[in-house]
Amino acid sequence: MTALTTSLKQVFGFDHFRTGQEETLRDLDSGQDVLAVLPTGAGKTLIYQLYGYRHSGCVLIVSPLLSLMNDQVDRMHMAGFRRVAAINSLTGRDERQAILRHLGDYQFLFMSPEMLSQPTMLSQLRQLTLSLLVIDEAHCIVQWGPDFRPEYLLLGAIREKLGMPRTLMLTATAGKTTRQEIAHQLRCHPQVVATSVDRPNIFLDVEDVGDGTEKQARLAELVAKLPGPGIVYFSSKQLASDMALWLQSQTGKVVAAYHAGLDNEARFKIQQQYMAGQLDLICATSAFGMGVDKNDVRYVIHYHLPADMESYAQEIGRAGRDGEPSLAVLLYASGDEQLPLMLGQANRPTAVTVHDYYAHPEAFDVADPGVHLLEFYRNHGISEAAVVRLFTRRERERNRALAQMLSYVREPHCLRQNWLQAFDEQGSHHEHCCAPKQVALDLAALNLPETAVATAAEPEIAWRDQLRQLF
Amino acid sequence: MEAADLIQVLTPQQTRRLRVIENLLRGKKTVSTLYWGQRYQLLPLIGLDKSLDRGGLDAAARSLVTGGLATLDEENDQLRLTPTGVIAAQRTYYQPQTADTWIQLDLMAARQRLLLAVQVVSEYTHATRRYYPLATDLATRQAVRAWFQREKSDRLGQQILQALTHALEQLPETVATVTTSLLTGYQHPGLTREQVAQRQQRTAWEVTLMQLDGLMQICQDARVDQTPFTSLLSSLWQSPVTRSAQLTLEAVRQTGDLDQVATQRRIKLSTVREHLLEAAIFLPLVDFPYEQILTPKLCQLFAKNLTGAIDDWQYTSLPADLQARYDFFYFRLYAIWIEKGGVLSDGVNNES
Repeated sequence: MTALTTSLKQVFGFDHFRTGQEETLRDLDSGQDVLAVLPTGAGKTLIYQLYGYRHSGCVLIVSPLLSLMNDQVDRMHMAGFRRVAAINSLTGRDERQAILRHLGDYQFLFMSPEMLSQPTMLSQLRQLTLSLLVIDEAHCIVQWGPDFRPEYLLLGAIREKLGMPRTLMLTATAGKTTRQEIAHQLRCHPQVVATSVDRPNIFLDVEDVGDGTEKQARLAELVAKLPGPGIVYFSSKQLASDMALWLQSQTGKVVAAYHAGLDNEARFKIQQQYMAGQLDLICATSAFGMGVDKNDVRYVIHYHLPADMESYAQEIGRAGRDGEPSLAVLLYASGDEQLPLMLGQANRPTAVTVHDYYAHPEAFDVADPGVHLLEFYRNHGISEAAVVRLFTRRERERNRALAQMLSYVREPHCLRQNWLQAFDEQGSHHEHCCAPKQVALDLAALNLPETAVATAAEPEIAWRDQLRQLF
Repeated sequence: MEAADLIQVLTPQQTRRLRVIENLLRGKKTVSTLYWGQRYQLLPLIGLDKSLDRGGLDAAARSLVTGGLATLDEENDQLRLTPTGVIAAQRTYYQPQTADTWIQLDLMAARQRLLLAVQVVSEYTHATRRYYPLATDLATRQAVRAWFQREKSDRLGQQILQALTHALEQLPETVATVTTSLLTGYQHPGLTREQVAQRQQRTAWEVTLMQLDGLMQICQDARVDQTPFTSLLSSLWQSPVTRSAQLTLEAVRQTGDLDQVATQRRIKLSTVREHLLEAAIFLPLVDFPYEQILTPKLCQLFAKNLTGAIDDWQYTSLPADLQARYDFFYFRLYAIWIEKGGVLSDGVNNES
C-alpha cells in the first residue's frame, strides 16, 4: 500500500502530518480500533478523509450536531471530495430519498445517531461495505447519552449490527473515565492515541466577582480592553442575545450572538462574518465552536460555569490555535453552580415520575423531553429499576464533574496543574501560566497580539457600490 | 413577528384570530385559515414563516394586551386593537408594495434560488473555486446548479448586476439597501436580518418585508422581460389554487354536479367542497362558477336571513330548516361571493 506520507501529499499537498494523525492512521491500517483524543485544530477530519481515500468502501461518520453536519459536507466538497452526503432530521424527504437511492455511491456519509438508530436505515447501511465507522465528538456519548440524546447509547448495538466495522472514535477532550466509558458503550477495546490537553499559549484566569451586576461590569471592562477576536460563552440563548447588544453599545465593538435559536441563514452568516474578521466578538452558547475554523481567537470568556472540565477544555481550546498568546477567563460569582445543577436536572425525571410513567405510560405527553427519554428506555426494554439506577448514576456523575469544575474555580495555586490533573496529566506552574482567583489579572503582561478587526464605525457602503463589489 | 409587527395586522373594527394569523404564516392552508385570511386581507402572509412554532405569536399577543394596546377574548384567540393600540400602530412602519403579487409565486423558493444564484455568480465572477455555499434544500441546489450550467458566461456577472440594479432602482432606497445587505457573495458574508434591523432601526420582520419587496421586484422584472433570472424562476410562477382544486373546479364547471364530480375524481364530497372554497377564495368573482352552485333561490333565502356585517354571520343562527337543506359549504361560499361583490339578480348587494 502507498506510504501514508505519499497519500498525504497527493490528497492535501502537505509534507508532514500533525501530531497524532499518522499514529492514528497507522493503527487503523493495522486493523485496530482507535480512540483519538486530539485537541481542537489538530486535524481530526483529515484522518478519516485520508483513510477513506486509501480504502475502498464507505466511511460512515456519526456526528452529533445537525447544523455542523452540513458544514462538514461543505468542507469536504471544498477539500475536493465529491461523493459526500449527510442524512439527519433536517434533510428534506426528497433529498433523503435521493441519497438513499444512491447510497452505494457515496465515499463519505454523515449521519446523526437518531437517524442511524432507525431500523430501515440500519438495514440499508448493512448492504454497504463500510471501510470505517467514525464516531465524531465521541465524548457526547458520555456527556449527552443518558439524559439528553439516549440514541447515543445504542451505538454499541448498532456497531454490532453493522458487523463490527473498524471504528475510529474522535474527541478533543476525554479524561480516563470518559475514555473508558466511550470504549464500554461502543463495545470495543481501542488503541488510544492521545496528545496532552495542555495549551501552553493559553493563559488561564479565574475571577471572583461579587454578584451579577459586578460580573456584567467586569465583562464589559474585559471586552473593551482585550484585543479581539473573542468568544464569550453563556448558558442561555436569551442572555447571549441580550448581552451581544449590550456589549456592542457599551464597548463600540462589533458583536453578534450565536446560538441554536437562530435560523440556518443567520448562523451561516455570523459564522462567516466571524471567520472573515468582520466581528470582534461572538456571544455564544455551547452551540458555537465545533467546526469553526479560526486560528486567531485571542480570548474565551465564560460568563457561566460550565458543567464539567471537558466542556470547559473544549471551549477554551478555541483560543490561540495559531500558537500566539491567548487568554481564558472564567467569571465566577458565588452560587453560580446552581445553574449547571438546575440545567442538569431539567431533563432528568425523578424516581417518582419514572414509577408513574412505567405504571401509566399513556398518561404522559411525549413532547416533554423527560417523558421522551423514558419512552425511549421503555421501548428498548429497559426496566424501571434499571432506569432509576441509570439516572442516579448519572446524577452522581454530573455532581462529581461539577465538583471538579468548582475545584478549578477555587484552586488557590495553579489553575493549569488543576486543569491537567482533571485529565490525568501533570504540569508545572510557571510565571506566565495562570491567575487563580486571588491573583489579579495583569493584561499588559500577557502580550496578546493585536489583530485588525472591523469597527462598528465603518461607514455603510451605498447599495449600488455594494452590488458592484459582488460582481 | 414581534408585538410591533403583530399590531400592524390588527384593527380596531374587526376582531382577528391569532391562530389564523399564526397558521397563515406557517403555511397551513386549511379552508378556514384561507377564508379568514381573506377576510383579514392577510393572504400575502401565507407561508412566510414556516419555521414559526405553534403558539409562536402568543408572547407578542400577550405583550400587546399587557401594554393595553389590544384586547384578547377569554379563549386567548380573538384580538382587537384598543384606541391606544390604534395610536401605537400609526408609527412609521414599512408597508410592502408588491404584497398583492406574492401569492402568484412560490416566493420562499424564489428567495432561496435568488440568494444562492447571486452567491454562486459572485464567487464565479471573482474566480473563487472554494467557498461555503449557503445552506439550502436539495431542490434549490439542483435548480441553481442546472441554471448556472446553462447561463454560465463571462458576461453573466455584469448581466446579473444590471438586473439587480434595474429592479432595486424601482423601489425606495431603503429597500434597495436592505435587500443588498442581506445578499451573500464574494468577500461579503451578508448581514443577518437582525443586524440589518438594528442598523435601520426597524424590526426584523419589517426587514423581511422589505427584502420580499426587493426580491419580488427582481422576479417581476424577470417575468416581464428576459433577464438572466427568467429561466431560474419560470417554474415557480403558480396559481395560488392547488392543482387538485383546479381539477375539481374544472370538473364542476363541466358537470355542475358536486356528487358526480366526487365519484368521477374519486374524492369525498367534503373534499370537493373544500377544493371549491379554496378556489373561490383565491379567484376573482368572474373566474368562479358561482351561478352553477348558488341558485338564485338559495341566494334570496340567505339574503333574507343573513344581514349585518359578514364577519358576524353565524351558520348556526340560520333557521333549522335552512341548515337542514343547505350544508355549511353553501353558507361559506355565499359569504365569499358577497364579499367579492356578488350581486343578486335584483341588483342588490346586501353587504352592510
